[in-house]
Amino acid sequence: MNARQAALHPTDLPVAPTLDPAWVLVEEGFTLAREHELESLFAIGNGYAGSRGSLAEGSALSSPATFLAGVFDSEAGPISGLAPTADWTRLSATIDGQPLRLDNGHNLEHRRVLDMQQGILWREWRHQNVAGRIIRVQMLRLASLADRHLLLQCATISPENYNGRVSIDAALTGTVTELTGSSTTVAMAVAGQVVDSAGRWMGSPQQIIGQPSLEVRLGETYRLDRMVAVYTSRDTGEPREMASRQVERAIEDVNGVIAAHRDAWLARWKASDLRIEGDPAAQRALRFAIYHLSSAANPEDERVSIGARGLSGTAYKGHVFWDTDIFMLPFFILTYPEAARALVMYRYHTLSGARAKAARLGYRGALYAWESADTGEEMTPPFVVSPDGEIVRILTGEQEHHISADVAFGVWKYWEATVDERFLVDAGAESLIETARFWASRAEREDDGRYHIRGIIGPDEYHETVDDNAYTNGLAQWNLEVGEEVTRLVAERWPEQWRALSRRLGLEAEEPHRWLQVARELYTGFDEQTGLFEQFRGYFGLEDIDLAAFAARTAPMDVLLGRERIKRSKIIKQADVVMLIHLLWERLPPEVRKANFEYYEPRCGHGSSLSPAIHALVAARLGDAARAERHFRQASEIDLSDNMGTRLAAFMLELSADCGRPQCSALLACASPTRGPSIAQTYRQAGAACRCDFSGGVDGTKSSFQKAARGVGQQGMIHERSVNPRPPRRFGASTGGAAGGKGARRDRASGPAYCSRRRA
Amino acid sequence: MLGETERAALRIVHVGERKPPDAELLERLRLAAPALDGSTVEVRTGEPAAEILLAAGEVKPRLIVMCTHTAAKPGKVLGNTATNVLRHAPCPVVLVPPGHGLSAWHLHHVLVPHDGTPTTSAALRPAAELAERASAELLVAHVTDIGAAPAEAGSLTTPRYVDQPQHEWPAWTSEFVKRLACVCPLGHLHVRLVLARGNPAAEIVRLAKKQSTDLVVLAWRGKWEVPHAATLKAILHKARCPIMVLRA
Repeated sequence: MNARQAALHPTDLPVAPTLDPAWVLVEEGFTLAREHELESLFAIGNGYAGSRGSLAEGSALSSPATFLAGVFDSEAGPISGLAPTADWTRLSATIDGQPLRLDNGHNLEHRRVLDMQQGILWREWRHQNVAGRIIRVQMLRLASLADRHLLLQCATISPENYNGRVSIDAALTGTVTELTGSSTTVAMAVAGQVVDSAGRWMGSPQQIIGQPSLEVRLGETYRLDRMVAVYTSRDTGEPREMASRQVERAIEDVNGVIAAHRDAWLARWKASDLRIEGDPAAQRALRFAIYHLSSAANPEDERVSIGARGLSGTAYKGHVFWDTDIFMLPFFILTYPEAARALVMYRYHTLSGARAKAARLGYRGALYAWESADTGEEMTPPFVVSPDGEIVRILTGEQEHHISADVAFGVWKYWEATVDERFLVDAGAESLIETARFWASRAEREDDGRYHIRGIIGPDEYHETVDDNAYTNGLAQWNLEVGEEVTRLVAERWPEQWRALSRRLGLEAEEPHRWLQVARELYTGFDEQTGLFEQFRGYFGLEDIDLAAFAARTAPMDVLLGRERIKRSKIIKQADVVMLIHLLWERLPPEVRKANFEYYEPRCGHGSSLSPAIHALVAARLGDAARAERHFRQASEIDLSDNMGTRLAAFMLELSADCGRPQCSALLACASPTRGPSIAQTYRQAGAACRCDFSGGVDGTKSSFQKAARGVGQQGMIHERSVNPRPPRRFGASTGGAAGGKGARRDRASGPAYCSRRRA
Repeated sequence: MLGETERAALRIVHVGERKPPDAELLERLRLAAPALDGSTVEVRTGEPAAEILLAAGEVKPRLIVMCTHTAAKPGKVLGNTATNVLRHAPCPVVLVPPGHGLSAWHLHHVLVPHDGTPTTSAALRPAAELAERASAELLVAHVTDIGAAPAEAGSLTTPRYVDQPQHEWPAWTSEFVKRLACVCPLGHLHVRLVLARGNPAAEIVRLAKKQSTDLVVLAWRGKWEVPHAATLKAILHKARCPIMVLRA
């Protein structure tokens, strides 16, 4: 992906493309084998609908698809995935009997431009057919951010050296309805018009399309507008009627639809742009991440979340992981609290699935699905056939339990930042209580007097079925404490609502106290002598492999060494203890943060795209400029390097990987934690030779939060509360440690560096 | 067998210092007369590689099939004749290890090492066609090792990140085959993709043995001198089955 000036010709379309190269991704020419990759990168979306950036006329490797958030297909088996809906983008032309295609004739010019500033996918193409006839084609495609039910495609054709006849073929006309495997009715209504360069209406697509009747003349430009309205039975009881009515209205004012869409994007950027001076590649990478995150968010629907790869493809099946709560949510909390609210409300609406999973495994409370779709039921495939032919059992759905604490962490951070009391009382508290309740039942007290969490998978998925994973136990401890805190908070401030909630949850008065006891006595793996957390029991005894010898690798370490070897080694898939440092930064003394980063960073193979950004962030906060920059570069290049990497069918956000992509979110994580530094701070700390800033600035962000809080207050729920209402609690040895009970007892008694500060 | 599969007439070219009597020729070729039904035998004299290439220029064959060498020479993976023919042949060359030609041979499993580049995909077209005509399985092997990925646009190598293998690997496998198929039509071929790790030549030889491969197909970029063609040479040296070399 190069960064050249978009250099589109003056457009005959009702809006002009952005020319600033810092706002556009440009793909020149045509390389067939890259099509799936580009379709993912050039996907458009508005959180309700997402369409891959496929060539309108298709190619041998095109996979056009449009997905609607929350519309899954469960017919194919127990693991449901996003259901592709009708391809509204299909549009092809035949000129005097010759199909207009990239693989037919001579392409004099061809470029596609993702205009991130305006949320528009542009295309320009000059084509000469075998008869020497040259035609210029311009297209735009958008998913309206102003009205999420509207999709628009405009195309102009200009014959440059001939008069002739053009036949236009569109796969979708009129109104179509389809029933997905999950019994959701999807209605898509299409309306259009064809005008000449003087703006004269030449007919509806129904009159033009499929008929060899469009006579085109040299020097004239003809424009086809296709407006699409989409509704589903999730939105209304009459999706077909709603779609038809809306599209008829919208086609009357195409320019107005475009203008509203553009204004909505500009408003998004005003709240979320991150400017970096002196580093165009980093600038573009950040905007690319923000673009796809913004394209995946929908504050209007709290029953959907953002899948690991957004709505850009079929990869990851649209499933929601911890990526959303830990990596994406902080970005939205800072820049788009309404969208953040929808994300945390999705977790509330899927609590029943989480409760069912916990109960099925013999626990209380809520254990969220490692992979979640529309119902909150566990959607992790149990097996995969790896490319070496091995059938591999997938244990994440059974053992990666930190997801519950991750969800709780996101809920609490949203509450802390927005002071959205209605959310806390009506939904958030219940999630926090049920997840705390889960951890209290998940941890077991053993003969050493400590609670342990055994048979677990931490973020480092190279090591499965381990005991006392430091990240899991650390977040569980945090979750238990916050669960107790929220019971006191709600009981104190909203006693009436608290009585109803505690009655409904069957919460006995002493249960929160027990959570604190479990938290206090939960083994953390912290060694006072070294200041290190052991990532899990026995980790320090594993084989040390020097990753420097594999520095030139282009494949993950588990592929290079094999699964069994990697299990016996200290090589880590992604930030685990380092992730703990990142999230619980203020609970850890500086020397502990540094010691653990120094120990674990060289042992991390970054086999997950989530990993480099977190390492960049922690390195920057530790003042290690060189490593911060190295990891930041790695993170920023994940999607935009020409090596496809994870970017398959659903831009990892397939990415198609498909995007909403983990990479995007990981990259943005650098700028997002409510208690962490912004990317600007990161760069300042790192001493990088560039300057970056939120365009809205910190003040702008606060204003946004304050506005959200005021909105709640108008409903009678507001009370004053600072964003960071209490001093940080220290994390670690008082609740267990590799050194055994001695150190812990001393900590509890004297309250040294790592002692938890117990509240009165 | 190859001739039958290709539905091509077999033309046997024998080059020697003199033209031998017919009986002696058959004995040298170790062929019984009935085996020559539908084939033609041409005897030439002169420098063998030059004569073979001359004959190839005349008849424009679909394939050249020849032995890797007649007498092993330390440090050399191919005899002089095979080397010269391979380097200058206008068509794919199938190199058969000495002795292999005498055993029964059927084309059931074709192993195709693939570096993930569109160039290799395009080069493999004759192999895919051959496998389809023989109803053979096409086993595509991608070997990953430490080192730079190909810079060619559209290349697909092992993903650098595998966040969730239950999603990544099926998607990657599908994508690899689709990228191959969009350049090299696979028709109704049964295609299997295998990811291996380590030294490419050693892995290909190992896979060929493990999968009972009847033919290894290698795309070669045409450069023979050191340090080029190291993998090709190593496979030629170690493999025990015929090897088809296609120009990429």
